[in-house]
Amino acid sequence: MSHFDIERPIVKLPEQQPEQQIPDEELVWTDEEQERIEERKAKYPDPKSAIMDLLWMAQEKYDYLPPEAIRLCADTLDMDYARAYGVATFYTQYYKEEKGKFVLDVCTCFSCQMMGGYDILHYLEEKLGIHKGETTDDGLFTVEEVECLGCCGSAPMMQVTNGPYVHNLTKDKVDALLDDLKDGNMPPFVSVTLPQDEDEMGGNRRSDVEATETYQTPPRSEAVK
Amino acid sequence: MELTNGATKAGDWRNYERVLLPPIRNLHKLEVYENEANGYNRLRDVLENDDWTPESVTNEVKASNLRGRGGAGFPTGLKWSFMPDPDDRPRYLACNADESEPGTFKDRQIMEYNPHLMFEGILIAGYAMQLDACYVYIRGEYADWIRHMEAQLQKAYDKGYVGDNIMGTDFSMDIVLHKGAGAYICGEETSLMESLEGKRGYPRYKPPFPAQKGLWASPTTINNVETLAHAPLIIENGGEWFANTGAEAHPGPILYGISGHVNRPGVYEYPTGMLITDLIDEVAQGVIDDKGIKAVVPGGCSVPPLRGDGIDGVTMDSESLQEAGSMLGTGGMLILDEDTDMVSYLRRVTHFYQHESCGQCTPCREGTGWLERIVTRIDEGEGNMRDLDLLLDLCDQMEGRTICAFADAAAWPVRNTVKRFREDFEAKCKPSVHPTGADLSAAGATAA
Ligand SMILES: Cc1cc2nc3c(=O)[nH]c(=O)nc-3n(C[C@H](O)[C@H](O)[C@H](O)COP(=O)(O)O)c2cc1C
Ligand code: SF4
Ligand code: FES
Repeated sequence: MSHFDIERPIVKLPEQQPEQQIPDEELVWTDEEQERIEERKAKYPDPKSAIMDLLWMAQEKYDYLPPEAIRLCADTLDMDYARAYGVATFYTQYYKEEKGKFVLDVCTCFSCQMMGGYDILHYLEEKLGIHKGETTDDGLFTVEEVECLGCCGSAPMMQVTNGPYVHNLTKDKVDALLDDLKDGNMPPFVSVTLPQDEDEMGGNRRSDVEATETYQTPPRSEAVK
Repeated sequence: MELTNGATKAGDWRNYERVLLPPIRNLHKLEVYENEANGYNRLRDVLENDDWTPESVTNEVKASNLRGRGGAGFPTGLKWSFMPDPDDRPRYLACNADESEPGTFKDRQIMEYNPHLMFEGILIAGYAMQLDACYVYIRGEYADWIRHMEAQLQKAYDKGYVGDNIMGTDFSMDIVLHKGAGAYICGEETSLMESLEGKRGYPRYKPPFPAQKGLWASPTTINNVETLAHAPLIIENGGEWFANTGAEAHPGPILYGISGHVNRPGVYEYPTGMLITDLIDEVAQGVIDDKGIKAVVPGGCSVPPLRGDGIDGVTMDSESLQEAGSMLGTGGMLILDEDTDMVSYLRRVTHFYQHESCGQCTPCREGTGWLERIVTRIDEGEGNMRDLDLLLDLCDQMEGRTICAFADAAAWPVRNTVKRFREDFEAKCKPSVHPTGADLSAAGATAA
């Protein structure tokens, strides 16, 4: 029997009358943000098309998107709340509920499945004492299982809080990553060098990036027999 | 064994010199791109040389026989010629940088290492189709690369390569980077347009086709990143050069993304028409621990997997792969060794489709859920033999009955994995209630 535990689809209904999380006085854009909003609105023939940008900005500002944050975006663009809410709930990267300070999105899809994605996911779950989808009690880590992140050559891999990718994961690397994150250090941007570049030009072709890795021979998954 | 296709169509690929990602240090920087890679000179030629008209650029792309690299393989020149004559509406290009097909990781390499080639290709396409703006739809997970490209795009704007009156001519075009937020379906071209317009990414019915009514109801063409990156190379070297590189029916350089149980995974640039066996044995330096090959998925998770014993002589182009029973897709190859359990594999694949279906069409929304549940049941040892036929029947109910091609893409791997690796599935199903050879006549007699 295989060891992974994909959930049956369940539809969770949102809280109908959630308590407001962000006080009214914080529900305003700063001048800089306002400027950025105008800039983005001007890029589209219909300013409402900038809703995805605004949701991103709100998420950066408030860490997640409670209904009042979505309403702020909708009001800014003069669009219906229902439409903005519809957009926010369609895309998985918008956090509709509060998550840990660091969200560890482990890819277990396709190539990563075969190269140990589930080993990494299960290791994290065990180490942090939570299941995927849950947050540690100290509010530091949320672990999630995600679909292909477009980095299958350096599988298994993960993304930290919609930001940097961490490639060629091993248990040691996960340990080091967690220690770094506890110290408040996000992993750096890593350039994965092309095999042909290694043969023809010694690997890293970018002088502006220090952290590089090569595509490596991945481990075979232990979780998939 | 008789070879179906035989020899490589990629010519002397061992001495192939890369053009999409040539070995030039710091190529992503504008100065380097200009000085060492002939950067933006192809665009200058197109804009300033009177021999180039929008029609002749499109014709050159037609002559190159370039086929889209986003998965469907549609001839690019032909697609460009579908744009109606200019009227009072604006005209758009959408560059598809969503790259969410599992097993695909090639467009990101262009965005990181050679973004200006993509921008130059966008502008050449813009000239050929007389467009006003291009929206590059980049998946939200690529946040680091979006920042990287924003910086480079600003440099191109500052240099007057993008924006109003490019290079002092009367051609003007804007490029806008749009950040997605995590939804596979937004790679589908009509869903991508909905998402760009700031809506839920629900695919649209076709017709009307995007060339008639696309972004904000204006004429729109959608092309993949790699497809557009080929345009400057075709202008520089000629359509004939392109048409004579690689496989005749599906020519040109291509980025292969190789992942899975191989010794050297990664993105490689070679001509189309490479033998799959060459790619595995020589390019990717063989299977880990010299194991045998159980399956090869040649072009991302949506294409049917090939059996490892059926890949001899098969080359990476649409013709040969079709003959072998698969497709080129995105050129993202997954190699699975002999110990792989194809039921596990399919279970995760069906989970992907269940998770990513947008839910508009009943056969897709419900079908993907049932595919996952049935395969999971088999994987858990709870399945019956009849479930295999049920799976195939479900595929019949899904294919061709939905708004977009997602449901077909979900059904193909299921149908072909079950058919081609049936022994794996049967081994996990509960034995049939009637063991083969049982005498059923007595049971029939008592019922009568
Ligand atoms: C479900 C689905 C997902 C798709 N995802 C992508 C994608 O991530 N990237 C891409 O370039 N094309 C994707 N496509 C193909 C596009 O719809 C479209 O055919 C392609 O972008 C056209 O560009 P091309 O002609 O240059 O290949 C997808 C298609 C479907 C049906
Ligand atoms: S086929 Fe599936 S993904 Fe495509 S529109 Fe229908 S429900 Fe959505
Ligand atoms: S399968 Fe994990 S990044 Fe593609």
